[in-house]
Amino acid sequence: MTETQVAENPLLEGLGPRRTPDPCVLVIFGASGDLTRRKIFPALYALANRRLLPEKFAIVGTARSDLSDEEYRDRMEHAVREFGRDDFKEDVWRPLSEATHYVSLNFAEEMRGDKLIELLNRLDEERGTRGNRVYYLAVPPSAMQPIVEELGEHRTTEGWTRLIVEKPFGHDLESARELTAMGTRHFTEEEIFRIDHYLGKETVQNMLALRFANGIFEPIWSRQFIDHVQITVAETLGVEGRADYYERAGAIRDIFQNHMLQLVALTAMEPPIDFTADSVRNEKVKVLKAMRMPRPKDVVRGQYGPGFVEGREVPGYRDEEGVDPQSMTETYLAAKLYVDNWRWADTPFYVRTGKRLARRDTTIAIQFQRAPHPPFEDSATEELQPNLLLVHVQPDEGVSLAIGAKVPGQGLRIRTVNMDFMYGGAFRTELPEAYERLILDAMLGDQTLFTRSDEVEEQWSIVDAIVAGWARDRPAFPNYASGAWGPAAADELIQRDGREWLRH
Amino acid sequence: MAPALSTTHVHAEEWSGEDVGVGDVVTALCRLRDESAHETEGPDLRTSVMNHLAWVPAEWEEAAVETLAGLEERHPSRGILLFPQPDAEDGIDAKISVLAFPLQEQRRHIAAEVIELRLRGSACRAPASIVNPLLVPALPVFLRWRGRPRFGEQYVDQLVEICDRLIVDSREWPDVPDAYSELPFERTACSDIAWRRTERWRRCLARMWPGIAELRKVRVEGPLAEATLLAGWLRSRLEREVELEQDDSETLSAVDVDGSACPVPREQPTSSALLSAELDEFGRDRVYEAAASAAVTF
Repeated sequence: MTETQVAENPLLEGLGPRRTPDPCVLVIFGASGDLTRRKIFPALYALANRRLLPEKFAIVGTARSDLSDEEYRDRMEHAVREFGRDDFKEDVWRPLSEATHYVSLNFAEEMRGDKLIELLNRLDEERGTRGNRVYYLAVPPSAMQPIVEELGEHRTTEGWTRLIVEKPFGHDLESARELTAMGTRHFTEEEIFRIDHYLGKETVQNMLALRFANGIFEPIWSRQFIDHVQITVAETLGVEGRADYYERAGAIRDIFQNHMLQLVALTAMEPPIDFTADSVRNEKVKVLKAMRMPRPKDVVRGQYGPGFVEGREVPGYRDEEGVDPQSMTETYLAAKLYVDNWRWADTPFYVRTGKRLARRDTTIAIQFQRAPHPPFEDSATEELQPNLLLVHVQPDEGVSLAIGAKVPGQGLRIRTVNMDFMYGGAFRTELPEAYERLILDAMLGDQTLFTRSDEVEEQWSIVDAIVAGWARDRPAFPNYASGAWGPAAADELIQRDGREWLRH
Repeated sequence: MAPALSTTHVHAEEWSGEDVGVGDVVTALCRLRDESAHETEGPDLRTSVMNHLAWVPAEWEEAAVETLAGLEERHPSRGILLFPQPDAEDGIDAKISVLAFPLQEQRRHIAAEVIELRLRGSACRAPASIVNPLLVPALPVFLRWRGRPRFGEQYVDQLVEICDRLIVDSREWPDVPDAYSELPFERTACSDIAWRRTERWRRCLARMWPGIAELRKVRVEGPLAEATLLAGWLRSRLEREVELEQDDSETLSAVDVDGSACPVPREQPTSSALLSAELDEFGRDRVYEAAASAAVTF
């Protein structure tokens, strides 16, 4: 509750902020797609189950498919039952279902938005949604332009408008700028919510809490005490039916450009003056701007061949359905990055991401420098590793700190032991899905966990520099077996500096 | 001893003893933790976030156990339940449970510890001396007092002294609103579950602002505690005399302001959820303090 609100209404004092948005209509473009089924509707159901949706609320799904309201509601009920994290409850679903409508539209061919506009106006009257709109563009970038143009031209004269855009935000710097220009012709930056769902994860946000709510970490969070940082985003999955998209994106556009660089930014950023959207994003942009363009020898790309993952034999990337048998798309990327500023000068950030790796694991590892002069015999400390702070983003969300401890018994032998803080151990509530948080934030108009256009452009500048270097060589793909930790060249990248990738 | 407090733990190590000393309890607790670790592939994680102390006179035992069921899982803590039996022969009987709860997607567990102590005879007179050695250091102490605490009596004051937050439910008190004047606001942070029950109604009333600014009379259908707290809140926030008309009922079910009905809020949480919400709060609640102080005069 803000001070102004309380000053105006003394009854609000002490009631705390209630994150319930204003009445609104959520319009989903791409309403019959996978994202809507797997993520958006289950998230809406979870929000409804927790009574976090506004009482005056409606959902309008639009897609090309010709469906009635009833057919669409049936499909979404199945989606919620299959992908929802909560038990299905009829009394939660029924009002959500009744608030759900469907309009068949094809924006790409011709403007047939009139029936959408009519429905939205009718919902304003029937449900009291006051012209407030959240447009969720769950469509590929190629389909965005006509939708944004039409929405821009048919803006409501009353109420607020928010536009949620899914990644990828372009495929290079130029296209990202075009997308931004297209969006900002009709909408302000404050109305555009670019989703990077990693930022909606509790444990990613916990990185901010860990750094800025604990006095013990920030003083040593710099080149003076940190030897290097390793960030891993490892998947065991292959392309899973997304070959069409993945062939064009590769690991660099799918993960590195957004999730990976956001994790680097959150790890390296300076403390923001407050937790408002712009303060946090200003600090992240500074990190991205300070990032040195990686040299070709500091980047390794790979593509998986056949192998075994979790005991199951899996095909190589080029044998996946829909993938070019000669494909040169990378499914793995490792890089050594530097943030050239006072805090991080000469401190390497080793990052790696890949598909079909040995384990599903997203981790930020902060490796501290060794104790300068342990006063023990060498044999006593041969099992001692440098202190390591591991932030487990997924799975096993939590934080571990590796410290040296004496082995019980005669003499003095020191071994590394882990102190674990498991997020789920201290807070026994289920973590909300990222999409729940992000959809709710968009309805509330809070952009803190969304990516700003200048962040996106800085991210693409780095990607473009790396991709430009790739034009000059043609690696021998595939170069790692499914189920391995990536190509040998990635090991060499870090070993050249006398370091090793962590086997978490 | 009270029945098991949770049904969701994957394994539990238990110990009980009659006529024991605090030292026996500490030793048994260490041993149980060790045994619990052998049940799994590694030591159970102890990620305690608080000490949860409860004073449960005999008449509240059944209700307390029902409310506390599952709380250790929601709030990993060291729970210390004190069952006073002042008329029994002197001594302490103890039961300790180390409960292991599963961690999602992991083979490891987290451990919660519940110490149930039956304080007999003179042991009831100095509960703090028994509790102090059992608290996990440097973690906040939440004291849930079932029934009406006799503020000013030594055993109550001792426990109030060691807690960071006292949680009561003034609906359990026979002498509201007068009893609100005894709440030890200056000595510890106080929470009242009856106050928590009014929260949804307060939100609804807040939405009636500014129409409610000149309010003269509020009619509340509900228990006296909630009714007087709501009216006290309106008095203290609006800084004006507000008349209260109360129709007794088991739950807070209707509120009218100057004849206009306040919209009925959505469903009320369970008593477990209400207590759980109080265990998430830290620090003093000045709005409650003002409301309770204003309620005294009704």
